[in-house]
Amino acid sequence: MFDLIIRNITNRKIRSALTICGIALGIFAVIVMGAMSENFHQTFERSMSVTSDKIRVFAESGVFGGGLTDDKVNDVLRVAGVKDAYGLLMTTFDEDKLGMTGKQILGVPPEKSSVALYPVELKAGRFLNPGDSYSVVVGNNIKREYGLEIGSKFEIHDKYFTVVGILDYTGSIFDNAVIIPLETAQNLYSVGNSVSYIFAVPDERVDAEMLSKRIELSVKGTSTLSPGELEVQARQSFMIFSVITISSGLLAAIIGGLCVMNTMLMSVAERTREFGILKAIGAETRDILLLTLGEASLMGLLGGILGIIVGVGAVQIMNAWLATTRIVLFLITPRLLIIAMLFALLIGALSGLYPAYRASKMSPMEALKHA
Amino acid sequence: MPEVIIGEQGFKTEKRPEREENKSNLGNEEQKIIMQVENLSKTYMQGKIPVHALRCACITVRKGELLAIMGPSGSGKSTLLALIGTLEKATDGKIILDGIDLTSVPEKLLPRVRREKIGFIFQHYNLVPTLSALENVELAMRFSRVPKKERKERAKALLEDLGLGDRLNHKPTELSGGEQQRVSIARALANKPALILADEPTGEVDSKTRDSIVRVFKELSQKGQTILVVTHDPEVAKECSRVLRITDGMIKDY
Repeated sequence: MFDLIIRNITNRKIRSALTICGIALGIFAVIVMGAMSENFHQTFERSMSVTSDKIRVFAESGVFGGGLTDDKVNDVLRVAGVKDAYGLLMTTFDEDKLGMTGKQILGVPPEKSSVALYPVELKAGRFLNPGDSYSVVVGNNIKREYGLEIGSKFEIHDKYFTVVGILDYTGSIFDNAVIIPLETAQNLYSVGNSVSYIFAVPDERVDAEMLSKRIELSVKGTSTLSPGELEVQARQSFMIFSVITISSGLLAAIIGGLCVMNTMLMSVAERTREFGILKAIGAETRDILLLTLGEASLMGLLGGILGIIVGVGAVQIMNAWLATTRIVLFLITPRLLIIAMLFALLIGALSGLYPAYRASKMSPMEALKHA
Repeated sequence: MPEVIIGEQGFKTEKRPEREENKSNLGNEEQKIIMQVENLSKTYMQGKIPVHALRCACITVRKGELLAIMGPSGSGKSTLLALIGTLEKATDGKIILDGIDLTSVPEKLLPRVRREKIGFIFQHYNLVPTLSALENVELAMRFSRVPKKERKERAKALLEDLGLGDRLNHKPTELSGGEQQRVSIARALANKPALILADEPTGEVDSKTRDSIVRVFKELSQKGQTILVVTHDPEVAKECSRVLRITDGMIKDY
């Protein structure tokens, strides 16, 4: 039966090729948008893994509302169950680009820099030390983009900093982080003793969720985000992003599916008489279903393979091009490839379902009368 | 009432008493009744008006008979063929073919009946245009799940028997009308059916080709193949062992 399916596809070369291209285009979109989502997902997972042990304490008015100062750190430290606490100032590195590049300035107390960044490790140099003022530790992407080495000078907000440490690649937000002493950052951006948020490290055997609530109740004017809450919030944001990216890819793939359905409906209509002949000589309903569904599925499969090849190629080219700007935007994973392939097959088969049903339900007598 | 039994192949069959005319021919395979049509009727609804395409048709066909059915257009010839071929459902009556009551075969078993018991030959040949002569003949056996090697050999032998040994790989468009009809005959014979139904098989060919097709039918009939031919052509009918005439849905046996 497979040879008949192939023959039916090759007999209508141009139409089949166009249909396969339609599916391929859809799968291409799934691959590109999916690769973006996968990259975001990986960054998210790794970022979560490096900050999951800390409670974030914000001003009641939010991160951008201000009002959270160094003084609050001591209040947080006084809460039972808090092992350590320190404030951080976070701002965008490239204000002219509105932070679109994802690079961030992170002001941390020098003596806390290693614990604040834990478990991120150094690739070279050291973390910040007490007494450092114009020293900087940079993430791996920053190092690559600016060609920095230990001892290099790095300009931030019209001031030159000495690179003392380079972080190992993490695949997280820390790859794009520029870490400088908190006090220097506060002076550089003229924010007094304000901090963006406070990291509170729970004691061992203390429930982080409970401690989070306790901090919120004990330290006036603050709200907290426990590791669990942070994960939920982050996952929600990730889901929204994924839904937007994946659904635009799926939309394209569904259009490809409609392409197959249209082709199959035309093909079934053209071959009405042929189906009548097949039925008259003893073809079962399942034979007709197999022929038409097989044809649609095979076109889906071929479209899927083509879409994946072109999609992966395009992603590689875009990643190579973006590498010049040190941005990694796409990530191809085996999971994405499997999903795209299954989706192509599913689209093909589902699109062939209705035409196949129509073909199999034809009365042989009526079909034979068809001109 | 005839005793109803379930046949080996799952079809409902009827064990019927031998007719008087057959008793004298017991042991003569050629005289065995292969098909009995009893009070077969077909009524279509044209809007709210019933159209009686076939009325109480009764036919007895013996094995190896070459039977012609003649009649004017719209007389019910094709309807009779479609009913016997299980392409349409009868309104009333019975068709017993090779011991199987075709009118009581469940819908899902009809393709099997068509494969195993009936071979079709159409006026317009109805070959699949994208397949070669050999593949067209093989097609009927594909659905019977005949192994590839066997069906190739059988299809080749049939085509060679019909003088198409050098046209095996030609597509229908590369064959003449007579050649296409012979491919169609080979396809009908592929599954060794009990009955071949031919609907105007010479309707689209010249007289020379017509004669060659009739000759093939006669040879097949002599070998024991039962063939029922619907035709307008008296020259074809003349060569048949018996002629039935249909007028206004009613059959007269000559």
